[in-house]
Amino acid sequence: MKFYVCIKQVPDVYAPLQIKDGQLIQDADRNVLNAYDASAVEEALVLTEQHGGEVEVVLAGPEKAKETLRKALAMGAHKGTHIVTNGDEEFDSSAYAKILAKFFSDKEYDFISCGKQSQDTDAGLAGSMMAELLDLPYATNAVDLKFSDGTLTVKRQGDAGQEIIDVPSPGLVTCSNDMNDPRIPSLKGIMQSKRKPVDTISLDDLGADISSDEVKTKVLGFEEKPEREAGKKYEGEPDEIAREVAQLLDTEENVI
Amino acid sequence: MSTLLTVISVNDGKIKRSSLEVLSRCNELAADNGLKSAALVIDANASDIAEKLKEYGPDTIYTIENPIFKNHLNTPVLKALSTALDHIQPQLVAFPSTESSKDVLGALAANKEAAALSDMSEFELTENGVKGKRPVMASKIISAVEATGSPVIISVRSGSYDAVEKSSDASIEAIDFNFNDDELRITLKEIISSSSDRVDLSEAEAVVAAGRGVKDEEGRNMISELASILNAGIGASRALTEAGDYDPSLQIGQTGKVVSPQLYIGVAISGAIQHVAGMANSKVIVAINKDPDAPIFDIADYGLVGDLYKILPPFIEELKKIKQN
Ligand SMILES: Cc1cc2nc3c(=O)[nH]c(=O)nc-3n(C[C@H](O)[C@H](O)[C@H](O)COP(=O)(O)OP(=O)(O)OC[C@H]3O[C@@H](n4cnc5c(N)ncnc54)[C@H](O)[C@@H]3O)c2cc1C
Ligand SMILES: Nc1ncnc2c1ncn2[C@@H]1O[C@H](COP(=O)(O)O)[C@@H](O)[C@H]1O
Repeated sequence: MKFYVCIKQVPDVYAPLQIKDGQLIQDADRNVLNAYDASAVEEALVLTEQHGGEVEVVLAGPEKAKETLRKALAMGAHKGTHIVTNGDEEFDSSAYAKILAKFFSDKEYDFISCGKQSQDTDAGLAGSMMAELLDLPYATNAVDLKFSDGTLTVKRQGDAGQEIIDVPSPGLVTCSNDMNDPRIPSLKGIMQSKRKPVDTISLDDLGADISSDEVKTKVLGFEEKPEREAGKKYEGEPDEIAREVAQLLDTEENVI
Repeated sequence: MSTLLTVISVNDGKIKRSSLEVLSRCNELAADNGLKSAALVIDANASDIAEKLKEYGPDTIYTIENPIFKNHLNTPVLKALSTALDHIQPQLVAFPSTESSKDVLGALAANKEAAALSDMSEFELTENGVKGKRPVMASKIISAVEATGSPVIISVRSGSYDAVEKSSDASIEAIDFNFNDDELRITLKEIISSSSDRVDLSEAEAVVAAGRGVKDEEGRNMISELASILNAGIGASRALTEAGDYDPSLQIGQTGKVVSPQLYIGVAISGAIQHVAGMANSKVIVAINKDPDAPIFDIADYGLVGDLYKILPPFIEELKKIKQN
């Protein structure tokens, strides 16, 4: 079974951030493997451990994003492809979906796996965009994957409950981080990752040069969200404070 | 005249409030800009739903009715959307953010070579598209965004706008649609719904959310009792959905659902940014936590510092008294 997992390097949401003149200022060195993609890698590893096969990770991003590719290899992915961008193109989900679809257009695989969304933007678009561009059957927001006889059985979190869906090969799935706890790379894994093959290709090589007017969504700037002020803290005798707050919710807030 | 199209989300034969919020916003934008506001219902009983929609003021209601839409499946939904967009030629297609709309938003945009923006908290029209806001970085900050072209396809976070009733004599138009089972490609085998009889979280006026400190049956019983007194939806943090104590559909936050109730009560929830991302728009926030430094207290209107097992019994008792009067 051949799994491709699309992984993205994203800024660490825990890194201190600041907004100045509408621009987001953040430590450029604090980046992580998108948490949802880490779950996709983990699940692909588990499935290939059970059923045999290979996991290849693909990342489109600037030179420094190679460390994220290494991280996935250290988790156990067998090989990687780095599609190198300048990093200042302001690509949106659609641009990345086109780039990745171009990459997959001449590849053979059973399944492409993505995160359900990027942790920094929460866009959640590139996966199903790629499925459409590649004309693949797909399922999103998977919380569990099982494989048998060439079919992926996906448990997806839907609106009406959990939907169990069979997706035939070749197909695409996007993963929730509710699926698993991604493994932490072991020292051995980290050592081995350094010898694993990584293909590096440019957008030019790929024939996927996306012009700036092809990018139809733009970030205009950033702003602080309206500050929510801390209200009152009630400390003391549980019985007293509990009853006091219950009364206030009725008399002051009228929400009971 | 160009059209702003709201795609209505239906759950168990009921129109989701978040769809009416989006429709109301589109009605307003259409009126301001001399455009048409239309609604699209894709459902097994679309014509019944369309009648109910008249109370919310669209100019036209389009329906695509087919038994295949009894349950969500992306293949037929995409085909229906694509057919409807070809027919209506809207300049804006707006969905409420739901798991079903998230499932097809990107694919529809790719199919129509249209720009897409998901999970917006505000939107307005521009000369050649849409601009607006969306929370980013686990909702720590807001980003101002823009999309150009026609149509632009967006989804809108629940609670971003009010649903405003406005009676209309909207015309109802059924759109031709055929679907053969062999076009399905994916197969829905089963739906596991354990929370169907409970209050819909994303629409609930009150939410009681349980966190890691709710560690046993006694705690869960108190959560249920509190929720039932307040007619509240029950939610949970990831700590408890992951542990299997609560249904995964009850998770509130970045991975889970966005709620915007009048009253949110967080019981033994620390207030991690990813959880807060899903509940910060609640009107009144009450937090119960034994750690006085828990981050949830930074955003709580009422912070009760103490052990939930000591605080909840008198809290529940007092609320019962209030309810009885
Ligand atoms: C990409 C990503 C997405 C995520 N998405 C979500 C999401 O959608 N929703 C979500 O909830 N989390 C999400 N998380 C996880 C999140 O970061 C936290 O781990 C999680 O919210 C913690 O849950 P908690 O507050 O219940 O547990 P904890 O952080 O462990 O807090 C438990 C709290 O309970 C208090 N407590 C314990 N016992 C008692 C008692 N007897 N009485 C009173 N108080 C008590 C403690 O003081 C503590 O503050 C996500 C994480 C990532 C990385
Ligand atoms: N630059 C990229 N490189 C590799 N995979 C990506 C990239 N951008 C998006 N993806 C994949 O698409 C998913 C959804 O992305 P998004 O639309 O940004 O939320 C991510 O979780 C990744 O799996």
